[in-house]
Amino acid sequence: MKYQSQSVAKLYFIAAIGLFVGQILFGLVMGLQYVVGDFLFPEIPFNVARMVHTNLLIVWLLFGFMGSAYYLVPEEAERELVAPWLAKLMFWIFLAAGAATIVGYLLLSYSDLAKLTQDDLLPTMGREFLEQPTITKLGIVVVALAFLFSIGMTILKGRKTVVNLVLLIGLTGLAVFFLFSFYNPENLVLDKYYWWWVVHLWVEGVWELILGSILAFILIKTTGVDREVIEKWLYVIIAMTLITGLIGTGHHYYWIGTPAFWQWWGSIFSAMEPIPFFMMTIFAFNMVNRRRRNHPNKAAVLWALGTAVMAFLGAGVWGFLHTLAPVNYYTHGTQITAAHGHMAFYGAYVMIVLAMISYAMPMLRGRRAANSPRSQVLEMWSFWLMTVSMVFITLFLTGAGILQTYLQRYSDQPLDFMTVQDKISLFYWLRELAGAVFLIGLVIYVVSFFAGTDEPEVAEKVEVDA
Amino acid sequence: MTEKNRQPPGDLAIWIFICAELGVFAVFFAAYAFTRAQHVELFNRYQQTLNSNYALINTLALITSSYFVVRAVAAIRDDHQRSCARWLGAAIAMGGVFLVVKSMEYHHHFSAGVTLSTNTFYMFYLSLTFFHFMHVLMGMVILAAVALKARRGGYSASAYTGVETGASYWHMVDLVWIILFPLVYVMR
Amino acid sequence: MTTTRRNALVRPCTIIYLLLIGLTLLTWALGRFNDRIGLPVATLSMTVLGIALLKGQLIGDFFMGLRRVRGAWRWVVTLWLLLPASLIGYAFLSSY
Ligand code: HEM
Ligand code: HEM
Ligand SMILES: [Fe+2]
Repeated sequence: MKYQSQSVAKLYFIAAIGLFVGQILFGLVMGLQYVVGDFLFPEIPFNVARMVHTNLLIVWLLFGFMGSAYYLVPEEAERELVAPWLAKLMFWIFLAAGAATIVGYLLLSYSDLAKLTQDDLLPTMGREFLEQPTITKLGIVVVALAFLFSIGMTILKGRKTVVNLVLLIGLTGLAVFFLFSFYNPENLVLDKYYWWWVVHLWVEGVWELILGSILAFILIKTTGVDREVIEKWLYVIIAMTLITGLIGTGHHYYWIGTPAFWQWWGSIFSAMEPIPFFMMTIFAFNMVNRRRRNHPNKAAVLWALGTAVMAFLGAGVWGFLHTLAPVNYYTHGTQITAAHGHMAFYGAYVMIVLAMISYAMPMLRGRRAANSPRSQVLEMWSFWLMTVSMVFITLFLTGAGILQTYLQRYSDQPLDFMTVQDKISLFYWLRELAGAVFLIGLVIYVVSFFAGTDEPEVAEKVEVDA
Repeated sequence: MTEKNRQPPGDLAIWIFICAELGVFAVFFAAYAFTRAQHVELFNRYQQTLNSNYALINTLALITSSYFVVRAVAAIRDDHQRSCARWLGAAIAMGGVFLVVKSMEYHHHFSAGVTLSTNTFYMFYLSLTFFHFMHVLMGMVILAAVALKARRGGYSASAYTGVETGASYWHMVDLVWIILFPLVYVMR
Repeated sequence: MTTTRRNALVRPCTIIYLLLIGLTLLTWALGRFNDRIGLPVATLSMTVLGIALLKGQLIGDFFMGLRRVRGAWRWVVTLWLLLPASLIGYAFLSSY
């Protein structure tokens, strides 16, 4: 750690990991409810668990992005963070607001929560991923503004690098598109239309810039490859991301009442969205192969490479699978969607945050560059357990989705929804099993932070082996 | 002079980008052709509402500007920075001609009430040409950046990769139009 | 982009440019006046597609300078031209 103020990142990372654990627990609850319908009913209904699962995911990823930015920006800008106290204050505000919201979900019925938080003054609740009460949303905006202020001022006053600028554009875009969560028109078509401006333009637009810049940062640090080379790749990747991803929003406008040309625009442009993800894979492996040093933090390099591969599989391959309008006609809203959602979110955004935590945490905890061998071995085990079980979750859901699509929508005698769900319950059991393995991996991940803390760290091998 | 390079002129990154862009256009072209095969009558009828004179002028404008860009690269290889900037300026002007003519064409169709939802032919015609239109605009921005740097003496006979990079992108924009023109305006 | 030779009377790139202009006029004229020329539509379409391929190849070779490149990059433009053109050609021919 070069700058004292980078240390605020640590708070954010710890909170992120804590909420991650909560997210997975609720995922397992829901996974069981899929096959044992009244599990935990009426204490935790499925819809509540779902809300908690997805909102925790988003919130902990935001904590992760902010922590990453607080660590990365000073180092790139070569100066202390502007107003680190603000970053600390915002952390507690964000955490308190997030916790209160989750408690509200769990203790109150959703309609009571809406009443309590005066949702009728400015109704924004009731839409997937954006279920938060309006005041929570306002809180998020305040936190985001304060965050952009410290980050932006630090970048303005310091050295301007491509990594920093791309990150700043991505984070600003994240905040700007979130504003569409306040727009809640009566017309259901318009409502859905702009809902995707948050959801799609986040994960297939501005978040990809954040992903690209964090990945570039980690690669610069761990491989010692020239910055110019890495920056060039970053330019190409973000240009491609924006060209395909912005118009690619059309792949959500096939059947919601929008004009028919979206079927063409959506299909053609979103079919190209895998390209930037593929470039990222090539980029990461290329840089690691051309490395000038063998960084002692093997775990961080593993996470970085893992991100590049899994993001391509989850977003690129599984996204392409159902993105063409004639295919989506049958698969829309089936378990195929869930399979893709899981692997894409995990591969792109969970893994990049964990990569950054893996890279930064040893320094934040006072080491020179890396953890002890014991800790790293545990962390790499957790990498493989979580990643492989996520692959299986995806495969089981894909199996379920293919059967569901066929039985419910394609065969000559289509069956009704619930009959089909019964027929494919074996896949849901297997998904739950894979989910349990994921949880084991996550526990080992947490344990790795406490293992071998008093042992010396891995030393850097000086010469690069051929 | 006769020895061959392993890499195309300009920065390799722009070539990767060019490949990706060409890929998008290829898909678009194929989609046009196969959709047309299912609506031959419709496509043939509405194709006649296009005026190929506009397209001719535009094709000539793009080819000419591409030629100017070639001359710009030749100039900088001889270390003529001013001349390089002037050729680039001329190329940008030809790009401007393209934009104006294309806008007139759009104006004609829009004032006839044509939209993306009028029919499948117009959907393709407007989408394809507009996507290309945006590329012309982007290419002009790139060329302008290169021209400004050239005028400030930022390139020389020994360092002109930037000029070649911008040039390669611009030729790509031309190349795409070379297919688009017969496909949309002439083939039936 | 070594398509220009100072000592030659006319630069090679200028010749290519004039050729491209000529081919463009030809394409346009075929489209414009075919009611008088009277080519069957299939012939007309395939001819202008062929002309476009030639033009594209000229641009790739002489303007983009791929003529002076060896290895895989030498053929990017050619490959790209053949890919959509064969799809376009197939789709049109199968529609008559
Ligand atoms: C990291 C990037 C990505 C993430 C995190 C992601 C995540 C998601 C999620 C969570 C959904 C479900 C939304 C809902 O209805 O609740 C979804 C839907 C969808 N995604 Fe992605 N996605 C990513 C990239 C992509 C890419 C690159 C493509 C296309 C190539 C794609 C294609 C689709 C399609 C077509 C749907 C709609 C499915 C349906 O009709 O039910 N996604 N995505
Ligand atoms: C880091 C790991 C995980 C991520 C990133 C993640 C992400 C998500 C996302 C984005 C959705 C919404 C999907 C959609 O709208 O289509 C979702 C829903 C869900 N997740 Fe997860 N999840 C993870 C782990 C788990 C685990 C371990 C389980 C259980 C074994 C699980 C079970 C579920 C269930 C049952 C749903 C509800 C699907 C539905 O509405 O039918 N998730 N998750
Ligand atoms: Fe999307």
